Amino acid sequence: MVELTGWTASPVPGPPDPEGGTDPGLDPEFGVEEPPEAPRRPIRRAALLVAPFAGLAAFFVGWEIYVLVRNLRPLTLPLPSDVIIHVVENPGFYSRNGLVTIQEAFWGFWIAFFAALFVATWMAHSQFVERATMPVIVLMQSTPVAVLVPIFLLWFGFSPWPKILTAMLFAWVPFVANALIGLRSIDSETHELLRSVNASRWEIYWRLRIPHSLPYLFAAGRICVGLALVGAVVGEFFNSREGLGNAARVAQSRLLVDQLWGSVFVLAFIGVAFVLLLIAVERRVLRWHSSQDSDHRGL
Amino acid sequence: MSRADAAADAAISFEAVSKWFRRKDRLVHALSRVSLDVRQSEFVSLIGPSGCGKSTMLRLAGGLLEPDRGSVVVNNQSPAEARRQKRYGFVPQHPALLPWRTVRRNVSLLSDVNRQQENPGMSTDDQLAMLDDIGLTPFLDSLPRELSGGLQQRVSIARAFALGAPVLLMDEPFSALDEITRADMRYLLLHLWGKIGSTVLFVTHSIPEAVVLSDRVAVLGSRPGRITQVIDVSLPRPRHAGVEDSDDYHRVLGEVRAALRQGWSS
Repeated sequence: MVELTGWTASPVPGPPDPEGGTDPGLDPEFGVEEPPEAPRRPIRRAALLVAPFAGLAAFFVGWEIYVLVRNLRPLTLPLPSDVIIHVVENPGFYSRNGLVTIQEAFWGFWIAFFAALFVATWMAHSQFVERATMPVIVLMQSTPVAVLVPIFLLWFGFSPWPKILTAMLFAWVPFVANALIGLRSIDSETHELLRSVNASRWEIYWRLRIPHSLPYLFAAGRICVGLALVGAVVGEFFNSREGLGNAARVAQSRLLVDQLWGSVFVLAFIGVAFVLLLIAVERRVLRWHSSQDSDHRGL
Repeated sequence: MSRADAAADAAISFEAVSKWFRRKDRLVHALSRVSLDVRQSEFVSLIGPSGCGKSTMLRLAGGLLEPDRGSVVVNNQSPAEARRQKRYGFVPQHPALLPWRTVRRNVSLLSDVNRQQENPGMSTDDQLAMLDDIGLTPFLDSLPRELSGGLQQRVSIARAFALGAPVLLMDEPFSALDEITRADMRYLLLHLWGKIGSTVLFVTHSIPEAVVLSDRVAVLGSRPGRITQVIDVSLPRPRHAGVEDSDDYHRVLGEVRAALRQGWSS
């Protein structure tokens, strides 16, 4: 082994000091040049902050004007302001049913995530497993999940499980596909570097594959939040006495337009809120990734 | 000294090594009966045209590939055993830094992995002193994407040295850098190597780089890859930028160039 008995520093040409130290090789005639001030664009920053709200407001105002100008009946298209007032006036009903749907979508989302990660890990490590699993995934992807809900009903009755399973099946294919790409597409040189110190499969998985797949998993997560909600609602359409899907189904059969649209609005709100939460987490966790550069970032 | 004695004393010994690769339905003969002994604390460069098997030799020495014929021995061990004991510092062509780790944590990466082995690498204090020595202190908590290509490669080299491994394997580590940074990196590498004294096997395409850095330059020919000549570089150490103005430097440069031309035409 090489002797390591303390490192003694000695001068070697280094890179320029980012703190602005004087380079001894600089021509004194020119001196140290002051850096330009960072451009201040408060209006641009504020505009970017307001943009999503402005877009939403424009959408609803446009809708409101369209209904008023065309004098449409609420059964055809209600005023968005009426729907919002209806939701605000019935907070108990929507929070109770919303919570049920959120719980089903939540468990469906996370079961899909862990099941997908488990399967993708096996597939990433073995070509045989990948070949054996791929037809099953394609089969599941091609089968309309809604058709399976009555079967889940037979199996689990009126428990939350048919809804959770439906939500899970809606969400899991994007998770598997993205997790597999993320786990597979690691840099070959970094992989070789870890192998050069005899890193175990587990270490390579934990230190390299998992962090590398995070951007892919977050991208899938954004899609799957919506899909899990759709799955939970589809499950509730078939068999439920609670949840926003059930509220919408009941409203449709009894022509309760406010409740029908109220359920849609609350579902949309829940979807947006969870996607925004996911984006906030993503910005913290993927601080290192180029997708988080302000120049490349959309929402 | 006989060939057997030289091999026994060598840090890395290639003995009549041949290697084939299967590409689709055909076999590519990458190396043919290559023999080379790299002595302890010696700096040996492998130079030759693309596809002559330089990187293959490096990977055989590092236990990342197995020879089809012949043998490779590293400090009287098989490369696989040396790898198990973390006896290699590997510097790939690109910095291969983990983008989610800061400079400080990238440098300690190889020490963090496979911890149960007896080689714990440099202490944290020594790592910090080394990083200070090569001008990386202001960037300790920076992420790789905040660094220039030259700084990233500095971190990559520091990471290999931080392991304190007796054998360093470097695969064209400066090839992606601009000429000015590249020249700077040569002397940085010599500076670090002068302190640690590991055995270095260095793959390069650059003749000046090979001559400035090495004790010996092994010239490879292609199709199949083989060593056509090993040239001694008898320039005094420590070497500084001024060495590139000396007559001896230009003489060796000419020898390597001629050997490459000869290998190409044969």
